[in-house]
Formats: sequence, C-alpha cells, structure tokens
Amino acid sequence: MNNLLFCKVRLLCSLLLLVAGIASAQNRPVTGKITDENGNPVPGATIQVKGTSTGTAATADGTFKLNVPANANTLVISFIGYVNQEVSIAGKSEFSISLVPTSTTLTDVVVVGYGTTRKKDLTGSVVSIKSADFNKGIVTAPDQLIQGKVAGLMVMNNSGAPGGATTVRIRGNSSVRTGNQPLYVVDGMPLDGRTAKPSVNANGLGQTPDANPLNFINSFDIQSMDVLKDASATAIYGARGANGVVIITTKKGQSGPPKLDVNYSVGASSILKKLDVLDAAGYRSALKQYNLTAGDEGSSVDAMNSILRTGITHNVNVGLSGGNENGVYRASFGMLDQQGIVKKTGLKKYTANLNGQFKLLDNQRIGIDYSIQAAHTTEQIAPITNDAGFTGSLIGQALQWNPTLALRKADGSFNLLGAGSAINPEAMSAAYDDDVNINSILANLSPYIKITDDLEYRFVYSINHQVGERETQIASFINITGVQDNGQAYYGVNTLTSQLFTHTLNYNKQVIKALFLSAVVGYESQQFNYKGRSMGGLGFTTDELKYVDILQNPTQTNTFISSFKNPKSELQSFFGRVNLNFFDKYLLTATLRADGSSKFGENNKYGYFPSFAAKWNIANEPFLKDNKTVTQLALRVGWGITGNQEFPAGAAQEQYTLNSNGGASLSNVANPNLKWESSKQLNAGIDYAFFNGRLYGSIDYFNKNTTNLLFNFPAIQPAPASNYWINLPANVINKGFEIVLRGDVVATKDFTWDLGVNATFLTNELKNYDGPPVLTGSISGQGVSNAYAQRLVNNMPLNSFYVRQFEGFDDNGQGVYKDNGNSMYFLGQPNPKTMMGIITSVNYKNWTLGANMHGAFGFDIYNNTANTVLPIGNLGSRNIAAKLVGTKEALSNPITVSSRYLEKGNFMKMDNITLSYKIGNIGKVIKGASVYLTGQNLFIITKYTGFDPEVNTDKNINGVTSLGIEYSPYPTARSFLAGINFSL
Amino acid sequence: MRSKIAYIILVLVIGGMASCTKLDEKLGSTLTKSQADSVIKVAALLVTAYDGLQLPFQDQSNYWALCEMTADEAVAPTRGGDWDDNGVWRALKLHNWNADHTFIGNSFSNILQLQFLATNVLNFHPSDAQAAEARFLRAFSMFATLDGWGQVPFRNPGDTLLNAPKVLKADEATNFIISELEAIIPTLSDSAHAYTANKNAARALLMKTYLNRGAFLNRQSPTFDAADMQQVITLADQIIASGKYSLANNFFANFAYNNDVIGTENIFTQRNGPGYSTTRSGNSSFCRWAPTLHYNQDPSGWNGFTTISDFYDKFEDSDTRRGGSYAGVTDVTGLKVGFLLGQQYGAGGVALKDRKGNALIFTRELKLQETDPNTLEVTGIRVVKYPPDLTSKESRNSNNASNDYVFLRYADVLLMKAEAMLRTGDAAGALVIVNNLRVKRGASAFTTLTLDNLIDERGREMYWEGWRRQDLIRFGKFLDTWQLKPSDDPKYLLFPIPTSDLSVNKNLVQNTGY
Repeated sequence: MNNLLFCKVRLLCSLLLLVAGIASAQNRPVTGKITDENGNPVPGATIQVKGTSTGTAATADGTFKLNVPANANTLVISFIGYVNQEVSIAGKSEFSISLVPTSTTLTDVVVVGYGTTRKKDLTGSVVSIKSADFNKGIVTAPDQLIQGKVAGLMVMNNSGAPGGATTVRIRGNSSVRTGNQPLYVVDGMPLDGRTAKPSVNANGLGQTPDANPLNFINSFDIQSMDVLKDASATAIYGARGANGVVIITTKKGQSGPPKLDVNYSVGASSILKKLDVLDAAGYRSALKQYNLTAGDEGSSVDAMNSILRTGITHNVNVGLSGGNENGVYRASFGMLDQQGIVKKTGLKKYTANLNGQFKLLDNQRIGIDYSIQAAHTTEQIAPITNDAGFTGSLIGQALQWNPTLALRKADGSFNLLGAGSAINPEAMSAAYDDDVNINSILANLSPYIKITDDLEYRFVYSINHQVGERETQIASFINITGVQDNGQAYYGVNTLTSQLFTHTLNYNKQVIKALFLSAVVGYESQQFNYKGRSMGGLGFTTDELKYVDILQNPTQTNTFISSFKNPKSELQSFFGRVNLNFFDKYLLTATLRADGSSKFGENNKYGYFPSFAAKWNIANEPFLKDNKTVTQLALRVGWGITGNQEFPAGAAQEQYTLNSNGGASLSNVANPNLKWESSKQLNAGIDYAFFNGRLYGSIDYFNKNTTNLLFNFPAIQPAPASNYWINLPANVINKGFEIVLRGDVVATKDFTWDLGVNATFLTNELKNYDGPPVLTGSISGQGVSNAYAQRLVNNMPLNSFYVRQFEGFDDNGQGVYKDNGNSMYFLGQPNPKTMMGIITSVNYKNWTLGANMHGAFGFDIYNNTANTVLPIGNLGSRNIAAKLVGTKEALSNPITVSSRYLEKGNFMKMDNITLSYKIGNIGKVIKGASVYLTGQNLFIITKYTGFDPEVNTDKNINGVTSLGIEYSPYPTARSFLAGINFSL
Repeated sequence: MRSKIAYIILVLVIGGMASCTKLDEKLGSTLTKSQADSVIKVAALLVTAYDGLQLPFQDQSNYWALCEMTADEAVAPTRGGDWDDNGVWRALKLHNWNADHTFIGNSFSNILQLQFLATNVLNFHPSDAQAAEARFLRAFSMFATLDGWGQVPFRNPGDTLLNAPKVLKADEATNFIISELEAIIPTLSDSAHAYTANKNAARALLMKTYLNRGAFLNRQSPTFDAADMQQVITLADQIIASGKYSLANNFFANFAYNNDVIGTENIFTQRNGPGYSTTRSGNSSFCRWAPTLHYNQDPSGWNGFTTISDFYDKFEDSDTRRGGSYAGVTDVTGLKVGFLLGQQYGAGGVALKDRKGNALIFTRELKLQETDPNTLEVTGIRVVKYPPDLTSKESRNSNNASNDYVFLRYADVLLMKAEAMLRTGDAAGALVIVNNLRVKRGASAFTTLTLDNLIDERGREMYWEGWRRQDLIRFGKFLDTWQLKPSDDPKYLLFPIPTSDLSVNKNLVQNTGY
C-alpha cells in the first residue's frame, strides 16, 4: 500500500534490533494503558507483538496485559482512526501509550499517484480527507463526502435527484467541452468517468439527467479521499491529469482478532424549498384583476404536493475485518434504500466489498493484495428532464398546473385535458415508469516482490465492468402528442468495461545521511470499451401488461432498434517519479509521464507530461528548530504540464455511419493531428502550523493555462452533416488563491472546539480565441425555439451569459430591452469567483457537535424555470409565479431570454449538523457504540429565487458544456437522520 | 523453495500479460472510408442529394423564410408569448438581421450541404445520367448561395474536408452555373417526372441565372444585358416548345396533394409523402399551411404567419389566385385556400371560435408585435397556397403530406420570358404573355406592361413560392419601405456570412456593412 511506510518500518526495525540486541529468551508479561490524544482510554485498541500473531485488545478502561516472547522487541498498537504506533519493549514491562488520531497530524500518510508520502513531505498541492472528516447525511456518491472540505474544489449537485450527477471542478473550468470532471482513481484504478446508464429521450419529454459515475462506491468503505490539485501532483496521471485527480482509497483490514463494525441510519427527507406559485384563491383573484373570464375551474389543488412525499432512507453497513501479520482482510456489505422526495423516484444500492493484503514466504518478500467491489444500484427515475419543451417535464407540469383545476375527477380517475393542453402531473407520475439497474464490479489483484530491501516490483491488474439496463415506458392515457392513445416503451442495455495493467518498480533508500531517495518507474496499459443496444416501440394495444414486456405488440414500422459500440480506446503509458529529500529540509520531486492513446491522431500518438516541484521545510532550519511558536513552516513551488483527453474514441478518424436506408454517410472528418488539451500549471504555497499545531493551514497561489483546446465543429461547408475535432491554440486561464485556516480554538481535556475555514478566489478567462462563436446554454420551453443564453468569447470567462438586456416594461406592459432587443450583451457569468467551506466541531466529554457549511459567491444563475415555465402569459390556462401579479407586465408580454432572469447566485448552505454521543462499550459484546442525529441541507442563505442556487441543469449544445442554468430540476431535499455505530 | 520460485513465476507471468500495443484504433459501429466504399451505392447517394433539398427550401425556418419574410409577402408577427423566438422573425421583417441570425446560419449551411451531397455523387463513378442530375442539384444549390450571399464556397469531388474550401466570387459562380447547366442539358432526361432533374428544369434555372446575372453582379443597380435576355427568351421558347406544360385551370391544383398528377405547370419539384419527406430532415410542404392556420382550424395550425394587407390589396376581387373554395378541402373541413380574411368556418359551415371563445375572424390589421390579448390570436390575413393533404390524420399536419414542393413552374417561365422581352424593348409581346396569364387566373387584362405592374404580377402569381426577395432585388425594390418595414440599408441586399462560417473559412469575405 505505501512504500514509504514500509521503508520507515524497516529503518525503525534495524534500529530497534541494534538497541535491543540483548533481550532474554523467555516469555514475559507486559502491561499498559492505551489512551487517545485527550487521555481518554481507547477500548478495543489492538496490541500485537511485531512480527508474530501474539496479540490482545485493550479493555474498556484501555488497559492490556500480554505475555510476549522473550525475543520480542516491539509492540504494534493499532486502532481505527489512529496512527499505528510501534513501541519498543526492550527492558520495560509497563507502558503508557497515547495514540495520535489520523486526521490532524503532520505525519499523516497522503496517497499520491502510484504511491504514498508523508504529508510533511508533500511537494505538490494535495489535500487528504479521512473518513472521520467526511460530510454526514444521506450520501449516495462519494464526491458529496468532501463537498466544501477542500479549497479549490467545487462539488455541486446538479439537482436533488437521488444518485444524480454532480459538477466537480478542481480549480475551475478549463475545457470548453464536457470533460471538466477530475480523474477518479479508486484503489489505483483510474475510472472511465462515464456510466453504463442508457439514455432515453422520450417523445416530447426530453433527456433525463445523467447519473453519478461514483454511485457504485459505498461511502462507508472509504478510508480517505485525496484531492490532487496542481500539475506537480497530477502530472503522474499525464494526459488525464489536467482537471485534477481524486484518489479514493477503500478501508483495509487491521491486524487483530475479527472485528465487526455495524452502522445503521434512518432518515426522512422532504422538499427544502417550494417555488411561490399562486394557490387557488390567489389564482381566482388574479383572474379578476386581469379581467380574464376563463380560467377558474372551480377546484382547489396543490399540484406540487401531488407528486411529492416524505422520503424515507435506510442505510445499513456491516464491515468485518481482521488478520495477522501474514495477512489482513476486510469484508463489508452495504444497503442504501433512498426514497426520493418525488414520488416514484429513489435509489437502491447494494454493495459488497472484499479485500485482503497477504504476505507470502517466511521472509514476507512476496505479497498479494486484492479487492473486489461489487455493486448493484437501482435508480427509479421520474420524468424530470433537462430540456423538456412546451409540455414540460414533471416539475414544470406541477408548477404550471392551474390550481383551480381538479387533478382527479369525481369518480377518482385522473382529470386529463386534450392533446397540446397542460399535463396533469399526478397522472404523469402514474403514467411514467423508468428504472435503471446497474451492476458493477471493480476488482483488482496486485502481487509484489521485494527484490531487495530497497526495491519492490509490483503488478496491478484491475477491471471495472458495468452493465446498465433501463426500462422506460409512458402509458397511453397521458395527453402528450405522440404518446396519447399509443403508449411508448424503451429498453436499453449499455456495457462499460475498462481494464488496467500496471507494472511499477519502487526504490526507497537513505542513500547517505543527508539524502533520502525514493523513486518509482512504471509502465501502464488501460483499455476502455463502451457499447449499447436499445429498442423500443410505439402503439401498444393494451395497458394491462408492461409495454417493455410486449415489444412485439406494436406494428413493425412503429418499433425501432439501434446499437452502438465505441472504438476500443487504449492508453499506453510510461512514467517515473523521483523524490529527493535533503536533511528533511530541501525536497525535490520530478515526474514524467508519456501517454500514448489510440484516440490521438496518428501524428500525435504520444504526449509527454513533465513536472517539477521543490519544497523548503523552513521549520527544520536551525534558526526555527526550537521555536515555540512556529511548529511548521514550509514553502512549496511546483510546475508541470498535464493533459485532458476527454474526447470520444474515433474522433481523429474518418468515420462513416450506416443509415437505415442501407447506405452510409460521412459522420466524422479525420484530423490526424488531434491530441490532448494541455495545461501548464504553476503552484506556489506555504504550509504553516503555529502554537504546537493548534493553528495550521496553507496558502496556495495557482495559475493554470490550458491550451490546444478541444473543439468539435460542424465540418466546414460545403460538407455533409458531419463534425470534426480540432485543437485550437486558444487559452483558458484559471488563476487564484486558496487559503486554509484551521485551529483548535479550545483544547482542554473535556472540551474541545476546532474550527476550519477554507476559501478559494478564482478567475477564469478565455484568451486568444478567434474561432467561431461557440453557443451553449440552450433555453427550453414555449416560445424560445433555438434560444441560448451562453456564448464563449475571447477575454471573457467561459460560459459567460450572452442575453438581451432587460430594462423594464413600457406603458403597455411589454418588456423593454436595450437596442430594442436587437443586440445581446455579456451580462454575467456562472463561475463562482469565491468559494468557501466552514467546518467546525465541538466536543464535550462524550458529546460531539459537528457542522459543515459551504458557499459560493460572485456568479450568476439563469432561471429558465421562471423564464418559460411560470410566465405571466400562462394566466387563464396555467399557473404563474405569484410575484408577477400586480406588476406592470402585461399578459401578452412575450417570453424572451434576457437579463431579467439572470440572478445572483451567492449562497451559504448549512450542509449538515451532526450531534453524536459516544456511549462506549455496552456489556462485554458491544464496543465503541455511538449514536448520532444529523440534519442535512438545513438551510440556505441566498437571494436566489429558484429551488436551490446550487444547480446545474445540463443545457449543453452539441456537447459544449453549459453552467449555471436552472430548468425545473428535481428539487433539493432537506433530511434528518438518526443513526448508530458500534463494533462487535 | 519450490513454492517461492512458483510464486515468482506466477507474478512474472501475470506481469507479462500486458505487453506494448501499437495504439491502432479500430472503429466500433462506424465504417472507414474503404469499408464504406462497398456499402455506398451511387444511386443511394443521388437520392440523398435530392433529399438535401428539403431542409433548406421547404422548411419554414430556412431559406424560404429568408426569401419571403424579408420581402413584402409574409410576416410572422409575435403574438403575445407565441412566435417571439428571440426576435428572429422580426429581424427578417425589419431588415436588421446580423451575422448571428439563426436562420441565416442554418440556411447557409444547409444549402451548402446540398452542394456537398450533389458533389459527393460525382466522387463515386456515376453514370452520365446520374452525373447530370447531380450537377443540376449542385448548380441549384450554388444558385441559392449566390442569390443569398453573393459568394459561393466550393469543393471539388474528393476534397479534404478538414481544409477550408475555395470561394467563388459572384461572377465566377455565375459563369460556373451557366456553363454547368449548358453542359448537362443534352444529357438530362426529357421525359422524367418533375421531381427528377430534367432538361426543362435546367433550362428554367438557366433562365433565372441569365435574368439575375446583372443583379448578382450589382445588386444596387442591376443591369440587363441584351444577350442574356435573349438567352432567357430562347430557353423559355424551348420549354414552351416541349409541349409538356400548360397553365392550370385551377391555380391551386399545382400545389395540391396530388399535384404530381393533376398539376400541369410544375417543371421541378421535390416529391413528398410517406417514405419521402418523412425520411428527410426538415419540415416539408405542410409547413406552407400549418404555420399560418389557427389552432382551431382543421387542419389545426400554429397560428403564426400572415401576409400584409397592402399585398392582399394588390389582387382584384375576381382574381382566382386570391383564393376561395378548393374541392376536397373546403367541403370536408370548411377551410378555404388562398388568402383567408374574416370569419373562418369549420366542417358543415360552423363558424369557428378562437381559444378565448370569440368568433375566429382574421383581420387586416397587423402589428409586428401583437400585445392586445383580445385580438392577438386573430390579426393578419392568412395564406394557404398549398391545399392541405387531408388523406390521413398524419398528412394534415406532418411530413406525411404528399403535396410535392414546387421550385420551378411554367407560369414563372412565362413571366420571366415576358420580363426579358420587356427589358429588351418588346413591351407589346410581353403584354400578350402577361395578359394571357392574367385572364387564365380570372384577372382583367392590362392595357400596358411596365416593370412596376410586372413585379406586382410576379407577386400575385408566385407568392410564398420563395422567389420574392430575388425578384424585388432585380426590380430594384427590395430596399423600398413597406408596411411593417419603415427603413432599410443597402447592406441588406446580401445576407451576412454567418459568424461561425467566416471564422473557419478564411477564404470567405464578410459582405459589406456587416
């Protein structure tokens, strides 16, 4: 797992052997007490004689008694959440051992690519978040665990949908196209980043949002998440490192007797915020106010309530681990059953994880590590889409429903209107069934040999295989043109497979007293395969059976079949890293990776990605060595080049697509020069700790310059309907500061209070661009055909809003726009200029109160929901936003995309507050029990009028990413949970 | 010890499994050029090339809109929340579009795509007849590009698509189109259906090229070369002499769902109906009625397009082209054809109502931006040149409609001949041709023929067929002010090169003023 640690252990062993060379040759008793950093006993801590299976566990009061062989020199003390400690027992028989927690110490091990390092030896900008510091609450995918915890990292839930995709950006947007997400590496396996969820675009309903590609990972199984931010840290991932890297490390077994960890929580979720639309009484009075005779249908309903519910979530996790000095294992099982707050939505997730690390041979020079993570997720989806048109998707339909119009007739049946009229949301919910099942396996096998004490060869084989199956149907009774009287069904299966082969040689040696050298070289090959098949039909003769079960029922002309297989994408890489540590004061790191990709054009098959970093541990200089105030002070500078190759396989080649008429036509124009986007990043930082580590943190400056930007343009006319990929020499510059400040405000025996703040100040700009205007941010709804809200332009941030400038209403109640609406202007931008996270925890004896907040400032959101779902012109047939009543706006004012719907997105969100109580041991069986209460998404401080300022409805145009647009998304939930943890 | 060796071997074997790869990329579900060559049949390519006519020329938001909404015949007023579409329609009417206008960008691409599809046929060893048809389609596309933008990006068969194509200037493009059409006329069929490229289609397009050559070279003050006009007359005579066409007894029969059978004037059309228009991109001929008809009419429409009353008033009451009943439509759904004004009726003579419950009475009054909630649904005179296809539920309102789309028509040929005669001093001969047409259409005979009454006559005959902008430019009237268009500027005689095309093809030069 961590070569540096092995090395440390070995060095220590040699020293101990020297010191303890005169041990006697009989068993003898040793006793002691294990305490935590505050002096409290640590029951259950494992005490083991190093190199043997002799061991015991600490009792409830933290004490232990152990007979050790006379030749034993060292005890190893371990406990989850604490650093393993080795204690020399030579010549002593009574010990008082204080364990150091893993989270806040500078001796922490941080996972970097293809190895680990001590935190204090880090030369790059890397943040490691351990499981104890993860966000609490209902967490479906691990990226939410570190939301708000890391400076420079933005994790935004695109919507409130259970299992929905997130927008994750490390140090801003640097790509024009999709492919801004960081690289995720799970136990050494870089993930593909896509999911096997088949997409469906049902008639008139639009595209349902993506699923989170990390859904298959059980948060309970994660030991740590390490965020690699700067190029010196990510260059080891070469052509995939430009967007940063998030390394997820799963929990491993601990040496000792079998231990069973159990964790159960139950929660209830409900909508965080409803939009203010008219109720029946308000609607009636508005009709009067606007002299409308039609529109009052006599009832009084709350359409939004008809599709919402209180969602109950159960989460059970069981972990079993143990082992001895020859091997450790951990098996875990998890079940998450999350009901969405919208009816007929939810996520069920079953995970099983087994891993082990075994050492073979007497001298333990050969070992094998393995792990298998299996997951089954079932996503139940509502018809809430990114780009619904006139008829709207479920949330839009509920918002728009005339509150005086009954949802059900007197006989209890749905009140359905004619084709082209409003759609009854309750009926829509009943008519729509959409389930996605994804089975996923992530397995790896990693044998290694210690060739010498300093040199280790390791091989890793990993496979990630996902099969996603989707069944979607819309019943024939719903009044959507094309569906009504027909019914529609879709069935799709997608398969995503990637395989990894890695060979590494690690070398660690204290070369001379002054110099410690560690180096790694490696060869890696990874393959990605993605394919899918789908079929569907229209025109079913019965509603009695599930349509997807009777796809032969529609006439053949009304069925369709399609399939695709992406070209196999292969990556072949050579890489190396050298760390030099002089006197623990001067540290140098150099890395180089050569990445060859089958996706690259034939003239650019290999990319080379170097990086260099240096660090000066000032605190280790003589003039600071005994300084009482300065515990740590270090300067870091790093520079490197990384790449982003997130374009589709086959993009460099000429491709002809087969048509349904039997012919073929050109669909992709060859570009033999196609290659990766290239990011040069400079990072300079200071790490500091004062007053014995009670105040610590870091300050980083970064400047990331991305060039050879990937664009996908329609072929230059005259040309067929085809596209080509090209690297343009424009630049995206992301630069800014990250400041982290943490402190133990109060640190007494019974009472502690720590507080952490991280802040990011970021600017984003597109430079030297002279290509065609790139439009994105499509605006959906009635009356806005072909409208968009964002345009990429030189010297502006990416995704700047480009809209008409709204100047109020004229005397006729018509919107007035600058230059009569003939011109559009850059009037805002969606990239937060400032992000902030606040983490605090208060401990009093057995009570802990923890809270996490995060916020973002200096950005705009386009409220497409207000623009086209709830305009004033709806009055008389559909519902409107309550605040429009009594304004100057006339009912006839057209729906126009303009700055009127641009809102400031500034917000601070109370992500979660957890109150927990350590019960400790209960009887002789239950150990380390604790109970907790968590409130999640408790409140948001914002002036934004939509559902949630943390929103990113996917409104891409031709694959050009949009940002910061809300279009009737799945609403955010507020949840309360109660849970219990204990061990057996 | 043996087990140790075994382990070492095991590790090395597993390690050796991954060896170096050449990183060659094999396509998955698409074909390479050489694989596609065996799949691609030149006949299918030619069909695809014909298919390329639909999107730019039939669809309501493509080149048709650029040629009609910018002229004095068609308007798409904003009706409250409907038809605002970010002002794209108003910009066309007011002549204040810019290089980012969606329809201009789409039209430019779609017309050029047709050029490519036609050129592509030539790349796959077609027969002489197939090559002639493809070259006609290429010339048709180039003519439209020249008409709209005054310069024509051009690729030879087999050109590398990653490279920007060369651009023909107006005179080069005109000469190229003329030489191409002259070269293919001998090879083109004389007996083909109107929906296949034929000798007379090439002749009619050649007539348009000669007639507009002076305007293409100088749009602000077109000149008309006598030799070009003589070519127009000669070509018209060849078409007349073919004996294939006659002026229809019912003007609207040329546009009906069965116009391939009963239409007597159609020279070049695009075949529509299930299996044809339904398989292509873009809306087909149903979008000559759906955008104009009210929601509550049958067929139900999108309640948008109208004409202006000044144009309507150019017709005499007796002129059959202004509309009336059409057998097979009016007797079935109550819908009349031509211009719709006043109370509208449904089947069985039931007076229709609008969505608010008021009588559905189309009015002469029209504003570009309708705001009065009581009238915004009903303003404007509606135009139904293509009698809707009522043969099925789907054909009323979708690409299933079988009305073949008319590009070139006999009456147009006659009016072009008359124009060429008038421009070369034979006013008397031209008057005979025009009066012959007018009488056939139920209008009174002119006593004299002038350019002013000839352009009006072209409007009455050719309204909504996509030629109005070109005609007005040639007659020097495109920059005049008219109802709902208060001012103008000479730069609007050409459309701007779309910003996105300009930046990827450095051989293009932005038109003056943009």
